Amino acid sequence: MAEKRFIFRAIQLVFALMLMAQTGVFGQASAAKGKSLFKANCAACHNKNMKDDMTGPALCGVEERWADYPKSDLASWIHNSQKLIQSGHPRAIELWNKYKPITMTPFPSLTEEDIESILMHIKEVCEKGPATAAAGAAGSGGAPATKVDDSNLLYYILFGLFAILALILFNIVSSLDYVRQLEEEVPNPKKLSLMSGLKSTGFKRVVTFFLVVFLGHFLVKGAISLGRQQGYKPDQPINFSHKIHAGDNKIDCKFCHDGARRSRHSMIPDNATCMKCHKAIKVGSKDGTAELTKIYASQGFDPNTGEYIEGFKDMPMDEVAGIYKKWIGDNYMSENDLTSLDAAGESEVEKQWKNIVRSLTNEFKSHVYGPIEWVRVHNLPDHVFYSHRQHVEVGKLECQTCHGPIETMDKVYQYSPLSMGWCVNCHRNTEIQLDNPYYEDYELLHKKMKAGEKVTVADIGGTECQKCHY
Amino acid sequence: MKNKGQVWVSDKDLSNDAQWRHEVRRENIPSNVADVVADANEMLSGNRRDFLKMLGFSLSAAVVASCDIPVKKALPYVVKPENIVPGNAVYYASSFVTGSDYCPVIVKTREGRPIKIEGNPKSTMTGGGTSARAQAMVLSLYDMYRLRHPGKLEDNTLKRMSWEDLDIAISGKLTANSNIRIVTHTTMSPSLDKAFEAFKQKYPNTEVVTYDPVSSTAMLLANEKDFGQRVIPGYRFDKADVVVSFNADFLGTWISPVEFAHQYAKKRETQDFDRPQVLKHIHVENGMSLTGSNADERILVKPSQQGIAMAHLYNAVAARKGAVSITVPPIEDEAGKALKAAAVELVKAGAKGLVVSSSNNVAEQQIVNAINHLIGAYGTTLDFNEASYQRKGDDRAIRALLNDMKSGKVDALFVHHANPVYDTPFGTAFGEAMAKVSLKVGIDTNANETNVLCDYLAPDHHMLESWGDVHPKRGVYSFLQPTINPLFDTRQAGESFLTWAGSDLLDTKAEQPYYEFVKANWMDRLGGQAAFDAVLESGVYTTKEAALEVPYNGDNNSLGRGITKPGNSEYEISFLESIGVGNGAYSNNPWLMEMPDPVTRCSWGNYLQVPIHFDGVNDFTSIKGIHEDGAILNVAIGGGEEQALPVFRQFGIMDGTLSMTLGYGRTMAGPVGSDFGHNMYPFLQEADGLTQYYNDSVTVGEPTGEKEEHFACVQYHHTFGIKDVDKASGEVINADEAALVSDDWKGITSGFQGALTDRSIVYYTPLHEKDEFAKELHEKREEAEHLNQQTLYPYDKYKEELYDQGHHWELYIDTNKCTGCAACTISCMAENNVPIVGKKEVSRHHEMTWLRIDRYYFGSAKNPNTFYQPMMCQQCDNAPCENVCPVNATNHSSEGINQMAYNRCIGTRYCANNCPYKVRRFNWLDYTTADLFRPNEPVVAQEELPFGADSLFRMILNPDVTVRSRGVIEKCSFCVQRIQEGKLNAKMEGRRLADGDVKTACQTACPTGAIVFGDQNDKESKLNKLKESPLTYYVLEEIDVRPTVAYRAKLVNTENLNEV
Repeated sequence: MAEKRFIFRAIQLVFALMLMAQTGVFGQASAAKGKSLFKANCAACHNKNMKDDMTGPALCGVEERWADYPKSDLASWIHNSQKLIQSGHPRAIELWNKYKPITMTPFPSLTEEDIESILMHIKEVCEKGPATAAAGAAGSGGAPATKVDDSNLLYYILFGLFAILALILFNIVSSLDYVRQLEEEVPNPKKLSLMSGLKSTGFKRVVTFFLVVFLGHFLVKGAISLGRQQGYKPDQPINFSHKIHAGDNKIDCKFCHDGARRSRHSMIPDNATCMKCHKAIKVGSKDGTAELTKIYASQGFDPNTGEYIEGFKDMPMDEVAGIYKKWIGDNYMSENDLTSLDAAGESEVEKQWKNIVRSLTNEFKSHVYGPIEWVRVHNLPDHVFYSHRQHVEVGKLECQTCHGPIETMDKVYQYSPLSMGWCVNCHRNTEIQLDNPYYEDYELLHKKMKAGEKVTVADIGGTECQKCHY
Repeated sequence: MKNKGQVWVSDKDLSNDAQWRHEVRRENIPSNVADVVADANEMLSGNRRDFLKMLGFSLSAAVVASCDIPVKKALPYVVKPENIVPGNAVYYASSFVTGSDYCPVIVKTREGRPIKIEGNPKSTMTGGGTSARAQAMVLSLYDMYRLRHPGKLEDNTLKRMSWEDLDIAISGKLTANSNIRIVTHTTMSPSLDKAFEAFKQKYPNTEVVTYDPVSSTAMLLANEKDFGQRVIPGYRFDKADVVVSFNADFLGTWISPVEFAHQYAKKRETQDFDRPQVLKHIHVENGMSLTGSNADERILVKPSQQGIAMAHLYNAVAARKGAVSITVPPIEDEAGKALKAAAVELVKAGAKGLVVSSSNNVAEQQIVNAINHLIGAYGTTLDFNEASYQRKGDDRAIRALLNDMKSGKVDALFVHHANPVYDTPFGTAFGEAMAKVSLKVGIDTNANETNVLCDYLAPDHHMLESWGDVHPKRGVYSFLQPTINPLFDTRQAGESFLTWAGSDLLDTKAEQPYYEFVKANWMDRLGGQAAFDAVLESGVYTTKEAALEVPYNGDNNSLGRGITKPGNSEYEISFLESIGVGNGAYSNNPWLMEMPDPVTRCSWGNYLQVPIHFDGVNDFTSIKGIHEDGAILNVAIGGGEEQALPVFRQFGIMDGTLSMTLGYGRTMAGPVGSDFGHNMYPFLQEADGLTQYYNDSVTVGEPTGEKEEHFACVQYHHTFGIKDVDKASGEVINADEAALVSDDWKGITSGFQGALTDRSIVYYTPLHEKDEFAKELHEKREEAEHLNQQTLYPYDKYKEELYDQGHHWELYIDTNKCTGCAACTISCMAENNVPIVGKKEVSRHHEMTWLRIDRYYFGSAKNPNTFYQPMMCQQCDNAPCENVCPVNATNHSSEGINQMAYNRCIGTRYCANNCPYKVRRFNWLDYTTADLFRPNEPVVAQEELPFGADSLFRMILNPDVTVRSRGVIEKCSFCVQRIQEGKLNAKMEGRRLADGDVKTACQTACPTGAIVFGDQNDKESKLNKLKESPLTYYVLEEIDVRPTVAYRAKLVNTENLNEV
């Protein structure tokens, strides 16, 4: 029995060391952490190779460029660039003049440590990675495949080390046991085989224990992520591009999502809102008539005449089809300088119209007239109360803070996790607009602010249950 | 202290009933395990398939959960209406009108659905108050059992017809000579009257027969005789110093209760402690009505002796005023003395006195007129310049209609929002006579006992779908505008009549013909569209009418001829309209069915209220040896067959009399309203063609020995204040038990030693002892504060750092103003998605109300005074519930709110057990959502779907408040959604939150302004002003839970409290 206990302890020790090593790796600020943060937050606008400009500038040498200013200035730029620009910071203004009107998405939830990690990662890529940078620039799109992840490498090395250590320990135990047998003059003294060690109850118990711990860990983790859909990128009935509208044409988000200013819902704009522009712009730059005609068909606007059709709701569908097919066909002809539709044109018209009908009808609705059934990308559970106007108007947050670089998305996806931890973290780190006269009653907070401390949403009860759940 | 040990809830806490104690203690534990198991078995019986289904479900649920999230669609408008912003509420002014019930309201709509009713503060009548019935009207809109389309009734089924076909069918059967009757309850719409006129023009032999189930015909006739005015004068309780009411339930059901409660509260104003504005209210009755329970003094008089009592009062007044007296039979000594004392008060008050009576006897109403005239009340407390049109019914007309139908004189009968087969004493005869009418058309929103006997049904819009106008009072108008498109294929009644009349007043081509008609009626008067839109927006419109000179030409010499002769039966019974379901019109509304009667605290039915006696030691006796509420007793009323009626032993009922409410026992009201309680209309007597709301010939038989099934009385539920520490031994003991068995107990003379001994729950004082009382209350509160200081926890530090920053919410409840009307409880249910649970669940202590109104008695057991105490979560700053939650699902916010996170709650119910106020409610079943498994769903009534599961009902849910599911605790949140909304609006506008920006649902519903919500940290707030009163106290202040709901002690304007 003694040897078994010993084996058990030895293996226990190995695992314990391994666990410690693992947590050690993930506990500190590091370039590895910076890499994942960069991927999640920056890579949409800043080139991964750090050498070339993209939407945002290349990041190599960023620290040198900001070297003239206190380190916290770079942090505040990252937290909210617009604020720094407004405060008249020379470097900020320089950047703004170069890149305006593109604004950098504010990242108020990044901590000092996070920023440090990202900077470490940038430095590392700039110094070490010409090869990787080339691979990235070559457009393969993925992360450099040749390079083993730092944290993983360390993990493998440690695992190997401990495995060897365990073997050595086992060997010592087995030798000691053999010596003991000799001394006690046990007949047929035998060295313990590795197999018998693996088959021992102690080992099984240890394995079971860790299996339960790991499985439990993954189960809980999995359960927590149930219902979360970060990265959710569904197909929409209309191939609407935020990139074209908000990015290229720089239409203010709140021009269409008008509810964000005055309601809890940001509101998907009604079909009529589209007509504010698309009464004039009738052919799309990307999809031509294929997508825009859906807007017209959904509300009975005749693009041929520029008039709304009387009694459209009750118009038979073949008559409706005639109107819009004519429009698509006419456009096809003018695009291709034809005087009559050729066979390819015929099939193109048919294809587009079929797609339009499919997008605008469903099993309960056979007419194309009616609201467009968008697929909700951002879904909060029913027991969460969220108000856009609270965040946009009172908190003065940018849409991008939660929705990410929406102006670069052809198809919208859920950028943030929308988990409670994510909400609460932001509430802990985001400063409130204490100059709003509403807060006059909070004397202690004003004192705190004057003392130079951060006054965050959490200070006015922003992490209490009934701020969001009631 | 005056009230020490003299407060009780029911006989059980007085007699320290062991079974009751057991039940109350186990409130949060299924009270009877065998019962629960039996239920589960019943629902699961022999269901191997269900078991497999469950197995399969859990598997598939696991699979589904691990897969993708279901795709959710978001549909924008095609063209968004300008005034709608999804997510923001839109409010419309409209009116609640059902028969003679009227209340101007503001309707809250979200995304086009009406979800909540608020009072209209612009109304000069109600000042923004509401009633439970007005609050509940929004639920009747979403009634699954509304009539959905016009049609012909054949073999008890409604065969659908188009409106065109219906119009042809009806018009085809009418000729210019047809004898037509339109039977209706009181209508107050000038436009509808005009539609009736147009109908009469086309069919000259048409007669509109107006009647009221609870009628005031005698008042109309008496006023016609004495003043030449066939109306009810406007009452001004706010100008009265002394009110003597003969059975008139003016705070609950009589004429215009919301208006009267609003006025009454102005005379229950105790803010100026040295000079409180408190009227003296003397109530003469035999039962215990809501108004009677609010009175300072009650005089017990048998129903058949009401007239005699009035005559005695008249004589006493006349003697002092030097007028002729009436010859009248003698009355009992006690009542006689009390009436003489009342007369003294009345004469002293002079023009500020007021006598009202609900009697339906012309001679008696004339006596009331004579008294009011003698004391000079006309012009101050009564005024024909503000005459009320809320009762127009003529009992004789409906009787004449019955006879006409019997003799075959009627060719066509239109039943417009009336139900004579149910709500008249001759219902059965009326139903039989209807068979002789060749064309019968029912116009209503729901099927009822009468219109199911019709040939055609022309369903009407619900109030919230209608256009209309109301003329409730001289110089006061009010409007209805639709807040939702009609849900079903219905048409407004006025439009139907105009269509059948073929009237050119109706522009049938218009998009909304009836709107155009109503508008046309007002355009000239108001002077244009803009003015019409303005009155629609404000909802109410007042005009200055020419002053009337109304001379009194009553003849005092002939007074008293024709008053009721006293009965000589051993028992008499009186009938009162129900506070909740009214005359039966609201029976299919589950909110009102489940609302406990404010006085008896019974729900889902009406019960025979019988007197109860305290024998002075430790026991109670009632009639026929009944020892238990809910026991079935055989009673023969009016010489008919014996009825088996469930009994409720009610304090304050006069010996030899019984009492019962009207409005229950419907048979065709839909699943919620039908077959609950007993129909008492057939037992109403008739005198001189007028319906009498009592019966003086009652024979009480023997108890059957059975008990009402699922007797749903909440009186004993959720009571608090039982446990105490024995000072000698230090053990936790049952306080009331100890009080009863100890040597200190000296019977009734030393006061009732109920459950509420020496605990600061209820405080009251006679008015003349208020100074002494205030001093004692102050001492008591200081003592409590001293006790509370003995703590290790740095409460003051928390207060300074947390609660004194920003907001610290508090509620103030003035029990002087609270009449117990229960409008707040319904408002709370509507605002917070509080579920309805049904009779059986209520009987198991499972009612879900966040706000209950506790009713306490004090004074003498024979004729007690009543104390109403709205009780909700007290949001304790040192809350005992928070400490015991194992998952921190309930904790405290920096604004002093005890917050409840439903999704964290795992249902241990520790918090509910630890709550000293018993205000936490547990979702024993899945009350609002449709659960997949039958046993998890409550059966509220006989409906097929569990209540709350149908999609129509769910339209009423407030989208700002989570719908709780099975297994979690819930409770009052101080309407946190309203607080957040108010704060956000202030932030958006960049200003400090103003006092009154946030109002709780209970506060806005209250007709008397008894509930005020505010911020303790706002030094200028109304709340802080109210708290300065020396009558302010906190319930259970001495146990250091730091509640933040303050109450004001009640002042009783009587000198002979406890002497009765």
